[in-house]
Amino acid sequence: MRFSLALLLTISSALAQDAGVTRADWPHYGGTQSSWRYSGLDQINTTNVKSLTPAWLFQTGDYAENLQATPIVTGGVMYLISARARVFALDAATGSLIWQYQHPEPPATIRGFVGSRGLAVSDGKVIFGTKDNSMVALDQKTGRLMWKVILDDTRQCGCNITAAPLVVKDKVIVGGTGGDNAHRGYITALFTKNGRVAWRWYVIPGPGEKGNETWKGDSWIFGGGSPWLTGSYDPALNLVYWGTGNAAADFYDAERVPVGADKGKDVNLYTASVVALDADTGKLRWHYQEVPDDLWDYDSSYEVLLIDREVRGRMRQALVHMNKSGLTVLLDRRTGEFLGIFSVPEVRNWITGVTEDGKLVGRNEPQMGKTTTLCPSAAGAKSWNSTAYSPRTGFLYVPVNEMCNDVTPNDRPPEEGRDFMNAAFPFRLPPGRTTYSHVDAWDPVTGKRVWSMPYKYVLLASMLATAGDLVFTGNPEGEFFALDAKSGNKLWTYQTGAGHRGASISYSVNGRQYIATTTGFHRTVVGALVLGLFPEQDWRLGSTLVVFALPEGSR
Amino acid sequence: MKALAAMALLFGGYSQAQNLADVLRQGEQVFAKSCSAGYCHGVRGNAGGAPRLAGRGFDQTYISNVVTRGVPGTGMAPFGTTLTRSDFVAVVAYVATLNGNSAPDVSDFGTATAAPTITGEAARGAALFKEAVRGFGRCATCHEVGGFGIPVAAPIATVPSSAAALKALAAPNVKSGTIDGESMPVLVLSEGKQGTVFYDLTAAPPVQRSAGPGSVRLANGSTWRHSSAIGAYNDAELGAILAYLRAVVKP
Repeated sequence: MRFSLALLLTISSALAQDAGVTRADWPHYGGTQSSWRYSGLDQINTTNVKSLTPAWLFQTGDYAENLQATPIVTGGVMYLISARARVFALDAATGSLIWQYQHPEPPATIRGFVGSRGLAVSDGKVIFGTKDNSMVALDQKTGRLMWKVILDDTRQCGCNITAAPLVVKDKVIVGGTGGDNAHRGYITALFTKNGRVAWRWYVIPGPGEKGNETWKGDSWIFGGGSPWLTGSYDPALNLVYWGTGNAAADFYDAERVPVGADKGKDVNLYTASVVALDADTGKLRWHYQEVPDDLWDYDSSYEVLLIDREVRGRMRQALVHMNKSGLTVLLDRRTGEFLGIFSVPEVRNWITGVTEDGKLVGRNEPQMGKTTTLCPSAAGAKSWNSTAYSPRTGFLYVPVNEMCNDVTPNDRPPEEGRDFMNAAFPFRLPPGRTTYSHVDAWDPVTGKRVWSMPYKYVLLASMLATAGDLVFTGNPEGEFFALDAKSGNKLWTYQTGAGHRGASISYSVNGRQYIATTTGFHRTVVGALVLGLFPEQDWRLGSTLVVFALPEGSR
Repeated sequence: MKALAAMALLFGGYSQAQNLADVLRQGEQVFAKSCSAGYCHGVRGNAGGAPRLAGRGFDQTYISNVVTRGVPGTGMAPFGTTLTRSDFVAVVAYVATLNGNSAPDVSDFGTATAAPTITGEAARGAALFKEAVRGFGRCATCHEVGGFGIPVAAPIATVPSSAAALKALAAPNVKSGTIDGESMPVLVLSEGKQGTVFYDLTAAPPVQRSAGPGSVRLANGSTWRHSSAIGAYNDAELGAILAYLRAVVKP
């Protein structure tokens, strides 16, 4: 009996482990719905990566912003979306254009963020969101418009859709931006078949709903929390996992925290949390709030990695989730039970520490009428770009930035859809350092850093891990590089000609493995903020996909 | 007193100087709200996420052009049509003073007529029309009025006389469409050789869909009722919304 139970556990864990691994295709934003950004392909590996050479390039021609999007590859076709929602279907082996589509550009006066971070492919359709809050579905074969639905009025909400949607069975699920404005964030699920809304989950509960009492007065109406990135899905549990954004006003809490609230737990729910929703109904199953009463703009909207690992002698269906502060939690993904926590930045003063059960200790909050230097900055110990996880090493690969900001809060009242950060927060570099970022390998179970490779500026591109024991990413100077997944040693570098702010993927066509990376820095939000820190730098814009492979015949 | 006298000399008169001070105060407020906000410029023109604007030697024409058009390829949005004329003039003048121009031209200030202000029940109606907490149940899900809302329906030309009339509103343009054996209320946008483009009104928000030629069968009449679409509002709220529409809809 004991034997068969152990066997069952092994099998189920092997299945779950497999769920995180991509093969020939790269079907989802995070690789698979487990969001590991890990390719099971090993044709390109530590011994031959030195021979990696460009196979083809694709220039989108959309240079307004950079190319941020994670491409999707399925059946030898790559689907790519540019910053201003120009969509391309390409032959993934040659880069030849199959079709293209351009979403009508909203007026420049529409507020918010330019920059699509990806699309989804499912049910014969290519599906994406836009700056003007449209969700659009194109025929996967022809690029013809099939349906389009507007989920909010940008002029009113000050929100946009920049995130890639996540396809889950017969639905496509998407979050939005706007949580730094006076806005109430939500996640919306639509039927892929016809674009009808299946459900919408508001991050902030309304009156009469559990959690609404964690808001002072009417502050829940404009309390932010926008889940502006892409979640994950566990088919066995039928749960969707999503990170939610910061509470608004970002840096000022007197109007949103009930008098006498205990800041130790569950303040301004469900902002700055990771949540599990029923995939069919959008009903909340459990939540874990990472930053109760977030006063630092420490969004928890980042990716959620679903991993099965042994924790203190017991196999766990777990998840790993990092927020902007660099605090990273390990939770049981069936229940939300807390299993562990670690903090990745080297420079940190917003708290003095964390208890063993995850409580924040020594909160250093912005003070009205004062300027407080707080680290990490609102740009995050990690930006929105994703981590990667390799089941071969068991490590989480993280691009970590060391920056601070000088926060001077104000008490301006909210105006719907308008800036509601309520602070000036110019960035600064921490003193006494010569490098301001590093690629780290962390063991998410022990919470120990295994290796760290420093870099002098910042790292703002997603990570890719492969079964060839390689970790790929790029830097703002234009270098795309491969590290040894076990040691962090740099094995290969290629100058792609423009800065990196997007993502890399791996896939194969006819047995040939490819590594594709987006290039082109961009100069809004974090991109501009960090350029201000390195005034001698002028990292190049661009919008080119560069695809590498081993030379033909060398395999 | 001496300083005031000097200013009076500089600007040619006490009241003008007083006006300029008021305009600049307003400009400083606009700057704080629209420019040194979020991830953008720092306070009083210092560097923030976006570049420093103080002491850069910018002249007023240049500032005016950039504020009007924005800077393509950056986060600097055009503000030419999003700010009121007075706010625009005030903020440009304010930034000019940060660049050493102590007497910026503010002659355009206050020239544009202000939009009519809506008060009382109509103001409450304006808020209800687009109230975000109602989700897809708000009027603005299908109607664009006063610069807000999604223009699924044609512009509102006549305002019903009462909440009852609003509920009973006929919608002759809504037809029954059958596609892949499923019948649904539809609002046809175009029909032609390329196929049919229509709004599927089965649920809010309406979905714009495309179907190949001959794949949608249309029939007059439908199950769709305006009373269901506005079910999130009570009669008093509908009354306020009608008051708002009467104030802004020009027949």
